[in-house]
Amino acid sequence: MGSLARAYGRPLASVIAGIAVLWILILILVPLGAMVEQSLWWREAKGDVSLTIDRLYNDISLIELDRATETDPAKKAAFDQSIAEKQAEIATLEAQEKDPPKTYGLANFTRMSGLHFYIFVRTIFYALLVTALALIVCYPVAYVVALASGPRKAIILMVALIVPYAINELLRVYAWLMILDYRGVINGVLASMGFIDLDAREWIPFLENPSAVFLAMIYTYVLFMVFPMVNTLETLDRNQIEAARDLGASTLRIHRRVIIPHAKPGIAVGCIMTFMLSAGSYSVPAIMTRGQGGDWFSQLVYRQFYESNNWNMGSAYAVSLLVVCTAFILLMMRLFGVGLRDIAR
Amino acid sequence: MRGKDVRLDKVSIRFGDSTAVQPTDLSIHAGEFFSILGPSGCGKTTLLRTISGFIQPSEGRVLIGGEDMAGKGPNERPTALIFQNLALFPLMSVAENVAFGLEARGMRKADRLKRAQELLDLVALGGFGDKRPSDLSGGQRQRVAIARALAVEPAVLLLDEPLSALDLKLRQHMRSELRAIQKRVGITFIYITHDQGEALAMSDRVAVMSRGKLEQVADADTLYAEPATPFVATFVGEQNVLRGTVTSLADTLAALDTPIGRVEGRVKGPIRLGEPALLMIRPERIVLGTGGVNAVPVRLAARNLEGPSVHLQCAAAGQTLTVTVPNGPSVRALPDELTLSFGVEDALVFPMGTLAHG
Repeated sequence: MGSLARAYGRPLASVIAGIAVLWILILILVPLGAMVEQSLWWREAKGDVSLTIDRLYNDISLIELDRATETDPAKKAAFDQSIAEKQAEIATLEAQEKDPPKTYGLANFTRMSGLHFYIFVRTIFYALLVTALALIVCYPVAYVVALASGPRKAIILMVALIVPYAINELLRVYAWLMILDYRGVINGVLASMGFIDLDAREWIPFLENPSAVFLAMIYTYVLFMVFPMVNTLETLDRNQIEAARDLGASTLRIHRRVIIPHAKPGIAVGCIMTFMLSAGSYSVPAIMTRGQGGDWFSQLVYRQFYESNNWNMGSAYAVSLLVVCTAFILLMMRLFGVGLRDIAR
Repeated sequence: MRGKDVRLDKVSIRFGDSTAVQPTDLSIHAGEFFSILGPSGCGKTTLLRTISGFIQPSEGRVLIGGEDMAGKGPNERPTALIFQNLALFPLMSVAENVAFGLEARGMRKADRLKRAQELLDLVALGGFGDKRPSDLSGGQRQRVAIARALAVEPAVLLLDEPLSALDLKLRQHMRSELRAIQKRVGITFIYITHDQGEALAMSDRVAVMSRGKLEQVADADTLYAEPATPFVATFVGEQNVLRGTVTSLADTLAALDTPIGRVEGRVKGPIRLGEPALLMIRPERIVLGTGGVNAVPVRLAARNLEGPSVHLQCAAAGQTLTVTVPNGPSVRALPDELTLSFGVEDALVFPMGTLAHG
């Protein structure tokens, strides 16, 4: 702040600092805070409240029946008082039913069912798998774009990588659906070659296998893996590759000892991006599995919000995912020995 | 380590339509410190990369120790290359850098680190093995690069202007250091540079290269005293150049009609009577007074003190002659009108040709 004020003067420095604070507030603190807050409380909705209310209404109508046949004024007054008491009780209970009291605690996190926890763990595992597969697929691509081709060719390759991204993500996922569907492109080709008979339902059920989701995800998130790697690989001094070759190193050793160590920050960033995107992706598993394959955790979060209408539980699920993703980032940074500075590059 | 000889047999290198190296024959002796000297873009680096195996010659053969290197990659040749920017591996320690070539050859870790230590001792960097290259000074990095290249026990060490990034003092120091290392290990050094000072100071022999062609291959003294072409004459050292017409020609001597009058010199190339030619004379071979055969009256235009010597800029008939004389009281008392002279032996007559500077 002090140096900002010296460089731009106090008024402009205040504006800049204000914008920065606003940025952090709007983009990070407010949404995250709201989500965390939401996940930390629940409403004590007692199941027997409505039963008690029903019973009280019943009691009142019985008392009113008794009161209608009663002639003794003293007893009548006693009935009236009893009715009033019960109505008051109903009012409090109904207020409670309508607006149950908030209770704060960690119960939303601990209440996750065994099945949901299993899906949670499986989603993390699948996301790790997608990340690993994407890394294997993208490293050679990034290497060719950044180092192995001339500058002209690299531009063409880069454009070829970006062009599919001009199409909406949903359309791209649906395209894969059409390719892999029961009566999709692949099964269609196989049928036309006489290997299978679609009318006899002899298709290959690609979509019932999680690998269909993997495939679509890798396709969808390829750029997020390739870009950071290309960026770091481009900064590698090609002389180092030549020096390693001149000293007698094999291609494998050059990659292992010279190129990959240099590309580490890019690999870390690519893995973090791909992992977060795939762990949190809703559309890809929702479209690709169509209920045929297993759910991903993101689908559970969606259901908590919009089908169970339990926003608190949904928030807790979302926060859990966030915590695991953050842990993954820190782990990757530790594993690859990269600091925030490397990632920001 | 034993050096091997390197022979280029009609090697030419083309990139598409452009010729980087014209058909070249060159023989470099085993254990020699050989420099290839030329301005940037003359093809010297291309030639070096051809010897190291990064470039395959378009025609001709490269032979190292008598063995044809055709089809052999840089990792299969008995050469090691030191890059212009050194290309040390920044993420490895100094010792790992030096041991990398041995690692690639599958040597056990303990053995290769021991060998790396020996090589670091050789280049006087014994205590620096655990440091990163970025922790070292320019001169130290230089020596790490040398140690790394020597680790693979090459028969031929190729150096691509490795001193160009250093400052002047360090560069001069590294010259003698390089020369000493070469004497100690006894292998063939092929050194690429555009700096004639480096080439002349270190080398057993120097090849001067221009526009993809070897102009002359000789030791430093010969290059300086007996340049074979106008390019070499003007690229190596300072030179006064006069244009003139050949008026008489006898065996090894010729007389030229130049703007400053008739001068005589030794013939250094195919010239013909009545045709234009170039006359070259070194500034330090011109004397004040009338001692030589060729005497020229001039006017002293400027005096540039260089410390032990003084450069005199003299004007005569629209030409400028530079004369280098030892500094002393007599130089300070020079009159404006002088007579310069130089001997026939010191004046060289070349046919018209490309000069090094314009």
